Amino acid sequence: MGKPAPDDKVELLQGTLDMLILRTLLWGPQHGHGVGQALKQGSDDLLKIERGSLYPALHRLEEQGLIASEWKASELNRRAKYYKLTAAGKKRLHAEQSKWNTLVKTIGRIMKPA
Amino acid sequence: MDFRKKREDELNEEIDFDLAIEAEENVRAGLPRKEAMERSRKEFGNVLRIKEVTREMWWGWTSMDRLSQDIRYALRQLARSPGFALVAIATLALGIGSATAMFGVVRAVLLSPLPFAEPDRLVRITETNPLKGWTSSPAAPANFADWRKENTVFTDLAYFMPSEMFLTAGSDSANRSGNAEPQRIIGYEVSGTFFDVLGVKPALGRAFREEESYAGNHRVAMLSHGLWKDRFGGDPNILGKTISLDERNYQVVGVLPPNFRFDDRRAQIFRPAGLRQSFFVEHRRPHYLSVFARLRPGVTEAQAVDQMNAIAARLEQLYPLTNTKMGVRIDGMHHYLSKGDRLPLLLLMGAVGMLFLIVCSNIANLQLGRGSTRAREFGIRLALGAGRARLAGQLLTESLVLSLIGGGLGLALAAAAQNLILRYAPEALPAFAETRMDGWILGFGLVVTLLAPALFGITPAFSAVRESTLQDRSGNQQAGAKRGLRAVLVACEVALSVVLVAGSALLIESLIRLEAVDPGFDPQRAVVFNVVLPRVRYPKDADARQGVERIEASLKSIPGAQSVGAVLMPPLRGAGWTADVTPEGRPDGDYERELRFNCASPGFLEAASIRLLRGRNFNEFDKADTDPVFLVNETLEKVYFRGQSAVGKRIKLGRPYDEAKWALVVGVVADTKQDGMDARVRPMAYYPFSQQPSRSMWLVVRGAGIGDSMIRQAVASVDPGVAINDFEPMDRLIADSTQKHRFRASLLGGFAGIALFLATLGIYGVLAYWVSQRATEIGVRLALGAPLPRLFRMVVSEGMRPVLAGALVGLLGAAAAAKAFQTLLFGVAAINPLSYLLTAGIMVAVALAACALPALRAIRVDPLISLRGQ
Repeated sequence: MGKPAPDDKVELLQGTLDMLILRTLLWGPQHGHGVGQALKQGSDDLLKIERGSLYPALHRLEEQGLIASEWKASELNRRAKYYKLTAAGKKRLHAEQSKWNTLVKTIGRIMKPA
Repeated sequence: MDFRKKREDELNEEIDFDLAIEAEENVRAGLPRKEAMERSRKEFGNVLRIKEVTREMWWGWTSMDRLSQDIRYALRQLARSPGFALVAIATLALGIGSATAMFGVVRAVLLSPLPFAEPDRLVRITETNPLKGWTSSPAAPANFADWRKENTVFTDLAYFMPSEMFLTAGSDSANRSGNAEPQRIIGYEVSGTFFDVLGVKPALGRAFREEESYAGNHRVAMLSHGLWKDRFGGDPNILGKTISLDERNYQVVGVLPPNFRFDDRRAQIFRPAGLRQSFFVEHRRPHYLSVFARLRPGVTEAQAVDQMNAIAARLEQLYPLTNTKMGVRIDGMHHYLSKGDRLPLLLLMGAVGMLFLIVCSNIANLQLGRGSTRAREFGIRLALGAGRARLAGQLLTESLVLSLIGGGLGLALAAAAQNLILRYAPEALPAFAETRMDGWILGFGLVVTLLAPALFGITPAFSAVRESTLQDRSGNQQAGAKRGLRAVLVACEVALSVVLVAGSALLIESLIRLEAVDPGFDPQRAVVFNVVLPRVRYPKDADARQGVERIEASLKSIPGAQSVGAVLMPPLRGAGWTADVTPEGRPDGDYERELRFNCASPGFLEAASIRLLRGRNFNEFDKADTDPVFLVNETLEKVYFRGQSAVGKRIKLGRPYDEAKWALVVGVVADTKQDGMDARVRPMAYYPFSQQPSRSMWLVVRGAGIGDSMIRQAVASVDPGVAINDFEPMDRLIADSTQKHRFRASLLGGFAGIALFLATLGIYGVLAYWVSQRATEIGVRLALGAPLPRLFRMVVSEGMRPVLAGALVGLLGAAAAAKAFQTLLFGVAAINPLSYLLTAGIMVAVALAACALPALRAIRVDPLISLRGQ
């Protein structure tokens, strides 16, 4: 797996991290590290996300009631905190998804390949 | 806090897990374990910071966390300087406590509705007459009846008359309570409509009925809750029982609710006045009914005034003999019942407000002083990355903590003060006022508590933070600006204190003048008390006369008793009764409209030490069957006989055309005060006890060391069934009549004392700080040989500058305040050089004392040490 040069990495757009986390959790409950791995793999390692920075986001989403957490047995014979989408979270994800689609479409229309 | 710890632990575990699992993956990828862990950490980011940011996501966590941290820090800081904390908390407790207590009183007296149904619709109706100088007089019965008949603005009218009565409850209850009888009771004689118009429902039984107003149906009574409990043991079967009032049987029909109080809070029995129905047709004089009414819903006071004026005008036309110029006046009932309490209460409320401001500026001052010593602490913390807002917030938290502790203590003080007022000076408040801690008062206390840190905390907080950022170690500019601020604060404290001191000087002077007024009798070494001879054992006038004479004789035999006398109405106990009177030889139809009648035994003048100015005293030759005689007071002689001697002249009760016997004036005696030490003396005439004896008399016994028990013994040796009521040393008569004045003067004096103390503290603090700042300069000056007195003067004059400025402003403020409250003064002008010089003198003397200590410290500075300090 060839490592991309640092310059190729993409800064995350403001406010999109939450959406990405919700999206990741759509496939089922996952712990923090797992969410990070999923984002990394899903983006082919192109996204510039510090693993640690997921945690404030996860806690914020939990406070907002968009995800819920539960301690469960996990790898390494340790328990881990698993997050899963709540109903409100799913609703929010749908809303974000359609907003995102519109945004991409609109921006894409303006930024037509020259 | 368990929950908090758990959450914290879970976050740690969650992050540990992430680090471990990443490290594990790195190991699997072939890295050595140690390096794998390091890489994991590195890619995770700053663990501490991430934890912190995550915590901030927890709802309500950080602000609470921060606050509790600040509070703990504040408490630590305060514990570190206990002196400051103590002074601040104690003064805050005083400031907040006095403000809250006074608010409680103001609320009870001025803001609370009267404890009657729809009290806003209750109005008092009085008569006015410029011919008689009446501005607010009780009404004559027939006028009352016409008002009641003709008006359409009131639902109904009622009247009352303060009255004293003598209760004989029956022998078994007398034995039970151990009271000799009859017992003197303060009460009211009222119309049958009284309680219905007030809208008061009895706790037991029923209220009076309209028809019970009049003679024939009036032998019914209502008891106060207190009397029912104390005297009748709360007898549940009291209704329908008979009690004896003034030796006539009355049937108890009701017991009043426990919190019911009317004008006089001592009132224990209400009974119908029982006036003849004919009075309400015929009697347009004298005027003795205190009238009030309830406005119909939707009728305004102005409409009522219009209609009542019209009625009065009609009566004036119909009955010119009695009603010429007789007008009507309508006041709110609250205004009447709270009497003259509005102005003094506003005065005291203003005073506590000032005290509160002084407290706040004093603490601000102390904090400014502390701020500079804490500048280093703040500097370090700023350098370590603390936010400025956070630092200021922390200082404000400190202020808030101080204020909350002080406020809590203050509320306790306020509660205690209210109990004290009720216990020791109940007459200082109108009867209806109920002072107790309730939501409103607590709320006021809380608001004041929260207001205080805003007043005393904000400026010092920002000043301290600004100062610490500049870190201008050598600079005097910053310190100078702050010293300026502190000087302004001191000037404010001084100005406010001067207002309070001047105000209390004026009130105290008024009190002294008032107590120095010659009451016309000698209140020292004499006692006074009331006895009533029961009609059962003293049925005839002659029996009553002999009874009182025997009691007088028995009292005279008490060792130490010099003289004994009897009087119907002792001095300073108000009016007995008043009447029209006609001096002999006046032109047709001319008569005097206000005479106070009194009655005395021959011994009274000597016992009370009232001077006989002209003529003779009563003597044993004035008998029931000899010609009627009078003693008159000096004012009567002056008003009725216009400079001529009254002795040998004749006067008769009533108007020229009234049937009455002429009575000879045999002597003129000195005026004695009647309605109060500050009230004008009215014309008064005494008739001799022997010619018209009364069963209820006040006895005066002069002599040193005469006590309650000796008196009781002496009276009991004549008749053990005669009760002694209201026994007191004669000087209590004066003390009672000046009580309100004393209450005001001592409260304001207390406030002024505290204010002075705080101002002194402020002056001292500022100057001490200044001296410590200038220690080097002073050291240099000393080393260069500056004379000590000059240095001393330099320091003192620095300290006195804000004092003098503040005192000047304060004197101006005091003069304005004194003008506004002029009517509370007695015998002293609102603006007079003596009081103000005295005030300024006190302020300057206290301020000089406060300056002396720092100044002494300054000139004792050892030049070497202060220079080495650099």
